[in-house]
Parts: sequence; structure tokens; C-alpha cells
Amino acid sequence: MTATTETRAGVTPAADRPRRGRRRGAHGRVHPGLWFFPVPALLLYLVFFAGPTLQAFQYSVTDWDGFSADFANVGTSNFGSIVSNDDLFRGALTNNLKFLFVVVIAQTALSLLLAVLLQRNSRSSTALRALFFLPAILSSVSVAFVWKFMYDPNFGLINQVLGGIGLDGLRSAFLGNADQAIFWVALAQVWAHAGQLMVIFIAGLQQIPAELYESASLDGASQWQRFRFVTWPLIAPATAIVVAYTTIQSFKAFDLILGLGGNPPKGSLDILSTRIYTTFTNSKFGYAAAESIVFMLIIAVVSLLQRRAVRLTQHGA
Amino acid sequence: MVGSLGRRVVLGVYALLIIIPLLVVLTGSFKTTEQLFDAPFGPPSTLAPTNYGSVLTDASMGTAFVNSTVVTVTAVALTLVIGSLAAYGLSRIPGWKGFALYGFLVLGMAVPAQSNMIPQYVLWQRLGLLDSRLGLVLVEIVATLPVAVFILTGFMRTLPRELFEAGSIDGAGPWRTYRSIALPVSLPSLAATAIFLFVIQWNDLLYPLLFIHDPAKVTLPLALLNFQGEFLTNYPLLFTGVIVASAPLVVAYVFLQRYFVAGLTAGSVKG
Amino acid sequence: MNTRQQGFSRRAALQLVGAGGVGAVLAGCAGPGSTGGSTSTGAASISGEASGDISFAHWRAEDKQVFDDLIKKFAATTPDVSVRQDISPSNDYQSSALQRIRGGSVGDVFVAFRGAQFVDMVEAGLYTDVSNQDFVQNFDPALIEAGKQDDTQFGYPYQVVFNMPVTNADLVSKAGGGSAPKDWDGFLGLCDDLKSQGVVPIAWPGGDPGNAGQLFNAMVMNNAPSDDMCTKIESGEYKCTDDWFLTTLQQYVQLKPYFQDNATGTAVEPCQQIFATKKAAMLATGSYHIAAVRALGAEFDMDLIAPITVSADEAKYEGIYNATFVLGVNSASKNQAAALAWLEYLSTPEVAGVYANGTSQNVTVKDVEYTNPDLKAIAPWLTRKTLLAPRFQFNNLDIRTAVEGACIAVVGGKSPDAAAAEAQRVVDQQRGQ
Repeated sequence: MTATTETRAGVTPAADRPRRGRRRGAHGRVHPGLWFFPVPALLLYLVFFAGPTLQAFQYSVTDWDGFSADFANVGTSNFGSIVSNDDLFRGALTNNLKFLFVVVIAQTALSLLLAVLLQRNSRSSTALRALFFLPAILSSVSVAFVWKFMYDPNFGLINQVLGGIGLDGLRSAFLGNADQAIFWVALAQVWAHAGQLMVIFIAGLQQIPAELYESASLDGASQWQRFRFVTWPLIAPATAIVVAYTTIQSFKAFDLILGLGGNPPKGSLDILSTRIYTTFTNSKFGYAAAESIVFMLIIAVVSLLQRRAVRLTQHGA
Repeated sequence: MVGSLGRRVVLGVYALLIIIPLLVVLTGSFKTTEQLFDAPFGPPSTLAPTNYGSVLTDASMGTAFVNSTVVTVTAVALTLVIGSLAAYGLSRIPGWKGFALYGFLVLGMAVPAQSNMIPQYVLWQRLGLLDSRLGLVLVEIVATLPVAVFILTGFMRTLPRELFEAGSIDGAGPWRTYRSIALPVSLPSLAATAIFLFVIQWNDLLYPLLFIHDPAKVTLPLALLNFQGEFLTNYPLLFTGVIVASAPLVVAYVFLQRYFVAGLTAGSVKG
Repeated sequence: MNTRQQGFSRRAALQLVGAGGVGAVLAGCAGPGSTGGSTSTGAASISGEASGDISFAHWRAEDKQVFDDLIKKFAATTPDVSVRQDISPSNDYQSSALQRIRGGSVGDVFVAFRGAQFVDMVEAGLYTDVSNQDFVQNFDPALIEAGKQDDTQFGYPYQVVFNMPVTNADLVSKAGGGSAPKDWDGFLGLCDDLKSQGVVPIAWPGGDPGNAGQLFNAMVMNNAPSDDMCTKIESGEYKCTDDWFLTTLQQYVQLKPYFQDNATGTAVEPCQQIFATKKAAMLATGSYHIAAVRALGAEFDMDLIAPITVSADEAKYEGIYNATFVLGVNSASKNQAAALAWLEYLSTPEVAGVYANGTSQNVTVKDVEYTNPDLKAIAPWLTRKTLLAPRFQFNNLDIRTAVEGACIAVVGGKSPDAAAAEAQRVVDQQRGQ
């Protein structure tokens, strides 16, 4: 099968592509059958996901408490409060952006590094890949247990090691330090998920034809050059997936925060998803619905900005 | 970029960072609460699997295990089928129409579960899907479909168009192209997506908590909650539960990892 | 039950129309028209036969065994009724119980935390009026006040806990000479003595907001100008920037050297461990932790202590108690007669005694014989001058977190003025929303 596809793939572009000026032009003719493919997904999604979500949206302009039979329409006042007069929401947003920034950079870099180092299918790579993936298998609640243990000021490993090597001055309250807490959570998040995103990078790397590397080597390219000019541009789709997925994951790191910070978490550990949840628990369903709309807008904006940024690094230079 | 020695150092250090906390969990599962706090990082004094006995003989555990397996395997398989169909179609429908549908589906990732869980609860109740494995499968599918479509479409877009065009010239309809070209070439990304879905669905707590009340239908995360008291948390039992509950995922991972190797061959198709 | 479902599906059509429809459907499962309707159902079913399966929903996983035993005994006396426990941990119970119980498929008998959750559940029409039950006499009337709303008894608080520091009686008597400090200077002096003996005076889980907040109860009980200070903070009558609250924050700063190192990052389990291994003299959470500490191997005598934050003659209260685990009958239950039978069974002194002694918790039921030595030791506190834990007056969780968070923040190094101002801003914003 490999051989035949190869020939086919080789034949068409020559016959088809050069005649069209616009890149997309060649594909303007859509086989009508293609429209059937997304139908099952769209149907399920519309009925069981989008529908309920839209219903939740209707509440965003109300003061519904989540259980009473009656509620009032409050117009856009929920949104007004969120934007201009809500320290808790703003604090959660700030924390979330800090968290996002650290996690996206550290996790993407780390998972790419690991993927490059482990891309070949040797026995040891396979074993290490499995090991690195292991934390992702644990539920976030379990990860939180593990790291609560690590960060504990009295029994935790980090302070014990610091004390053991005479660096008592560096012993910290970690999650209890209001200025640092969110970064310590970010570290736990990277620990738990770097191996998971490594898998995406490995899948991306393995879809790069080996011949490209071979010809680059023949041209005398160094290891760094091969990475820079072959790997990096060609794993663009994987990078885009990893960055976008990590972003969403960072916005929704919910169990981990509740596990590490308690329910409801302190202000220094609150992020947007926990904020919405607390608002909901606090019997302010209308306000929580409004918060989730703002939340989705923020995710959309951040994702778009990131798409730009990733493209720039990939094609810009 | 990284020499052989450097490579080993990086991998070695990272391996330690992963192993040490996991060792705390593993050794912890052989300790009593007292011992765990006494020397959290020390070796257990005994390897007697007392905690494992308590976890495995717990009546709810066996049922939960079966339920989790049935629900997760079914939901992952269906999500992959539905998701890859959508991804294939959307990656090949050009222009704004395809992108709009894709954007609409993928937007679901940004929706916090808390914001639609009440309307969902009401809908499931009306359809008689509460307290049923089918209902749980359904909610897991729709909740993870956006992620699946997102990852799979991303990968399918990277497949050279020529691959499919060759097919159409031979007279193969999109269904045959999907089955005999797109799917085989996408095995690595399907495997990667499958692992993601397994992890998300297997560990999901929110939906089972909300939708399942019947003890005969509980899943593992719910059963694990039984080990957690209000004020007295039995860490060793919890750690044991974590290990027992994670074991199937390790198996799933090892199984799916083989397809990365297959992916290497599939990838060469494009050369 | 059939009629309920038919009404439900008729309403279902409305749901698609809009928000109003959904509200109606949700209210449909809650038992709309609220209390009136459900009360009459409750009254009707009392005369019915107690039979069938019921679900008992609660959050005390550690009480499962004791309840299992009681359920078996109950089955012997009432063979037609079988009880099943539906347990979810307290955090989840806090957030999702309302949704789950409302449908009536779970929690024929259910519980609520005293405070915001109880109030919400009564408002949602979940509780059936149980004022006129004969077994109300089994309870100590003062202790079940917390189960009343507008003079109607909707639920019966079951547990009595003391939300004030637990002490290692040996360590404290060695340091302070036996008698409990009567004023703030005395308390600080005791802490000083303990510290000079090389133990941590107070183990305080500043990293766990839920448990860290228990100390708040005792810190404000004598400082505040009235007993409903938290209600008044929430209503805007009192401010976090008022003198009495600033004083409280400054006293937290004074306590800082007596907490374990890096207290703001310590979770509750390590605190229990420090206390159980005699490295700390007080555990600043509450009596509900005594059983947990015993399970960790503690063998010393334990007592309770509350910091008296004022001079001896200004002290109104010696300690804090709370009546919680508010038992009630679900208004959506299809089997209220059986549910009432189980509730009645739990209210008998012998059964309550088994529960109390088995779980190391005092109960609201009268004439219970406490044989558990820890319960015996703290039993005198049942008659002392104690205040019903004020932190549960907060009905808005964000306000509660903000106010208690200020106390944690000052221990972390923030100035009391800044912390108070920050908390008050949140209170004002929450009141405006």
C-alpha cells in the first residue's frame, strides 16, 4: 500500500497544481459526500452540548440563584460588574494569565525537548516515554495529593532537602506564599502534563519524512540546523495543537487548584474556572453564567493571539 | 543540538523528577498513615499488600472497575469514530464554511463544564439517561468531542492533499478515501488522541458525580471518593486506590504506543 | 410519583422556549409553590406505612461503618424499610448535593451544613416541615435552633462540634499550671511558655482555608460588638475596617510567632500529625479532629481551649460550638414515611449514643450516655458559655473567604490595614452584585 500511494501522490500535483493561481483554488470543488462526514458530530454536539450551553447563556442576564422558581432580568449589569467592579474576578484572571504564561512556555519547551530526545523508537526511548507519560495518567486530584506532600513546609521533600543541605533560609511556605503560590501550582501542572504533550510532538515528529533529515545531513547540516530548518517548521501543526491545548488546559486546571488550594481556594490560588465554580456554588448562577461568557471570550482572544505568535516564530524568521 | 551525554543527563534528571513523587505514592500504598507522615520518603517497613487487600476486596471497587472500563472503552471508541469522521470532512471542506463548522465544534473546549451542567442534567433526566451507562457514555462523548476534533483535524490538515486527490481521480468516493487512506495514515495521531481521551474520560469525576446515583453504576473515581473522609483522609488507602485505578491506563498506553511505531511507517507515505 | 413525572414532561416542552421554561422545570423537581405543597405531602405520608427502600445522603465517609451497623439494627426493628447510604465528600456535597437531591432519586433523608447550604436548601423547597413530629422531644431544643427557618423546624442538626482549638492537656498543664488563660495576655503567656519548652504552641492549617477559618470563630467571639457580627458584615452594617476587626487582625499578627513555621502553607493533615506526635500543644481546628488525631496514634489527654482576646471582665464567651449535619426529609421523596421512620430511629437516645461514641462526636439528642473517653472529657463544654460558631452566619461564601482570608494574609505578612481594606472591597462588591 505504501508504494502505490506514493506513486499516486507523486503524480497528481504535477498535473494539477501549477495551472491554478490561487492556492485554494484547486480544492474549490468539494465532493458533496464530504458534507456528510461532520454530520454525526454536529448533531450530537448541537443537541447535547451547544443547546444546554446556550440555555446557560440565557441566564447570564438574570439574577437566578440556581434553584428558585423565579428570577429577574438584570440586563447587562452582571457583565458590568465583572468588567469594572469585581476584584475576585480580576484577581482570578491575573492569576490565570500568570499561570498560563509559565505553563505554556515551560510545558511546550519541555515536551518538545523530551519529544526530540525520545523520537526514535528504541527500547529505552519507549520505556522513558511511558515513564514520562505516567503522571498524566493520574487524575488531577491524585497529582494534587502528591504535590501537597512535596510542598508541605514541615514534612515536604523540598523543604527537607533545603534544610538538609543547610539552606534553611530558602525554606518556603510555597502554596502559602501569596506572591508565589500560583507559580508553584504551575510547576505541578507542568510535571503532570509535559509527558502528555510530548506524545503529540512525537506523533508530529514521526510524521516528518525521514528522507528530509537524510538529505539535510548530506548537505552537512548540524544537529541544531536540522532542528531549526527541518523539525521546527514541519512540526508547526503539532506545536499549534500543543500550545492551544495547553492554553485551554491552563484555563481549565480546575481539579488541581481545588486539590492544592482547597474549596473554595484562597484568592492567591483562584483561577477563572474555580472562580466560576465558586460563584456557582455560592448560588449566583446568573452571575456565574455571565462569568463563563467572559471566560470564553478571554480564551478566544488569547488563543487567537497565540496562533499569531506561533505562526510568527515558525514562518517569520 | 544535544549531545549524547547531554541527552542522558537531561533524560536522567527528568526521570528522577518523575520517579520520586511517584515513589512516594507507591511506597505510601504499603504504609500506614502514621508511617507515611513519619517518613514520607522512606521505604515501607513491609511489603504486605494490606491496603491493596482493602481496596480490591471493597465491594464497590469491582463493580466500579467494570463500569469504568465499559464506559470509557465505548466512549473513547465512539468519540474517535465520530471525531475522525468530522475531522476528515472538515479538513477537506475548504474555505470559510469548513472553518466555521470546525470553529463551532472546537469552541466547545472553552466552555466550562459548570456552565452547562445544569441544563444538561435536566435534559438527561428528561430522556431517562440519568443513572445509566449509556447516558454517561453520551455525555463523555459530547464533552470530549471538541478536543478530539481539534487534535484530529489539526493532524489531518497536514496530510498532503495529493493523497486524497489521487484517490478521487481513481474514482474512489470520500468514504473509501477516508477508510483506506486517511485512517491508516493518521494512525499515530489517532493513537495520541485515544490516549488523551482515555485519560480525560477515565479520570472524569464531575459527570459521574452528577449523573450517577445508583451504586451499581458508579465509576472508579466515584468509588475512590469513598476512601476520602470529611476530616480524616486515609492517604495510604487513597494512594493504593490511585495505583489500582491507574493501572488500566498504563495498559492502554502501552497498547496504543505500538501505533506510534506504525506511524513511522505510515509517515513515510508522504515522502 | 407518576403524576410528578407527567407534570414534568408537560413542562418539558416549555423548556425549549426559554429561560423561564427551564426555571419552571428545575422548580418542578424542587417541588414548586415551595414549602406549602411539600408540607402537605409530608403530613399525608406520616400516616402511611413505612416501607420500601430509601437513600440516606450525607458527606461523612468516615461514619460509614457506624451508620452501616445502625442500618442493620434498624432493619431488625423495621423490616419493611431498607436504607442505603449515598456518600459524597464534603467539598462535593457542598457544591452538587442540591442538584442531586432535588430530583428525589437520592437522599430521601439528607443532611445540610448549617448556614448557607441549609438556607439554600430550605429556599429550594428541599426540606419537608418536620415541626410536628413527636420525636422532636428527643432533641435538646437549644441545639436544634439551627434547623429552624422562620419558626418552622425543617431539619434537625445532629452533631455538636466545638470549633475551637484542641489541646494536648499534658503539655498545656505543664506550661500554664493547669488553669486556662482568662485573658489575651494570659493566652500569649501560655504560648510563650509552650514555645520555651520547645514545642509549637499552635498548629494552624493556614494553607487550608476551610479549616484555617475555625480559629476565626474564637478570635471574634469576644472582640465583636454583637453576636451576629458576620451577618452584620454581610449586610454592610459592620465593616472589616472597623476597629474591632482591625484589633482581631493585629492579634493574629501577635499569634504568628506561635504558629508552626510557614503556617500559611500548611495543610490540615500535617497539622494533625504535628499535634499527634506531641510536637504541637494545640490544634487550632476543632473537636471534630479528635478522632482523626487518635487514629494517628495520639494517646495523651485532650481538652479544648479558646483564645480569650479581651480582658477577663470583658469576656462574654469561653468557647465556640456548632450544631450541624442538619438532617431532613426530602420533599421530593417518594417514600417520606420510611424516611421519617429512619429519622425517628436516629433521634432515639440509644441510637444517637452509638453514633456519638462510635464517631467521637457529641450529638443534639438529649439523655445520651457518652462512654467514649474523649467525649466525656469535652462534655463539660456542652454547658459552658459558648457561642454558636459565627463564621457560618455568612451566607455568601465569597464574603466568608474574603474576611477569613484577611486573617490568613496578615499572618503571611500583609499589614492589617491593607488586608482589611482589601477584604472590605470584596464585601462591598459582593453586596452590589
